[in-house]
Amino acid sequence: MTVISALQNVHIEGSFGNFENKSENELLKIKELKNLLIVQIVQYKNSSIKIDDINFNNLKFVNQAQKVVSNENIRVLWNSPNNWLLVSHKKELLKEIYSTFNENDFAVTDLSHSKATIELEGPYVKEVLKKGCPFNFNILTKNMSINSAYNGISFIVDMVENEPEKARIFSLRSFGESLYHSITDASLEFGYKCN
Amino acid sequence: MLYIFCPHCGLRSQNEFAYGGDATVKRPELNKEISDQEWNNFVYLRKSPRGKHLELWHHISGCRQWIKVERDTSTHEIFKTYKADELTE
Repeated sequence: MTVISALQNVHIEGSFGNFENKSENELLKIKELKNLLIVQIVQYKNSSIKIDDINFNNLKFVNQAQKVVSNENIRVLWNSPNNWLLVSHKKELLKEIYSTFNENDFAVTDLSHSKATIELEGPYVKEVLKKGCPFNFNILTKNMSINSAYNGISFIVDMVENEPEKARIFSLRSFGESLYHSITDASLEFGYKCN
Repeated sequence: MLYIFCPHCGLRSQNEFAYGGDATVKRPELNKEISDQEWNNFVYLRKSPRGKHLELWHHISGCRQWIKVERDTSTHEIFKTYKADELTE
């Protein structure tokens, strides 16, 4: 079966906007991330398990706003109290997730096919995000994430790197194309390269 | 634009929130016999105060939690915010 990515119909490779006379490093890079494992993990209210006791691939989940815990394969984003989003390129982790987070205490939902994911990298990442979202992105640094809205579309921002700035943004798959157009429109003045 | 301090996420813009009505209204107790009038008052009757007001807001584009906000309806000043299950002063 062929997997159709969320942005297959809109994401086209090439350079766009004000890209002329600019070097590669001066351009914003926009990429669709495909084949990610995205899993929502929610701890039930009546669960007595201490989240600190859970160790998943040497990662400790923390109940702290905006906090991302990560290793080279996995990023765990805090979504809301007792609610995390696990993101990884390793699809085979799903079985391990189901066995670590038992169904009496946790609701584990595979959202891999219901999210559109865009990765922004380059010098103007925060400027582009500021154009459509009222959050103060100056305080968002590496390994922090927020849930907010971009031009009215609910989205999640995961700050992966500070220098150069690199952020992953997630939205519902059905809003993916609209979000992609909003992001690329906001990027035109800086010049951007899709790859 | 209003900025509302979410007790879970921190200071956020109003457009991440949805207004959820008066936070002082209490649902009649379960299994208690109440008149149609009392039921009508609970469902429809709301005060429209000028000044301090305790409101419910839903952080719908953020942590998706319900919170209580103490706000002045004439100046829009926000005095304090609480978690939904937190006791108000």
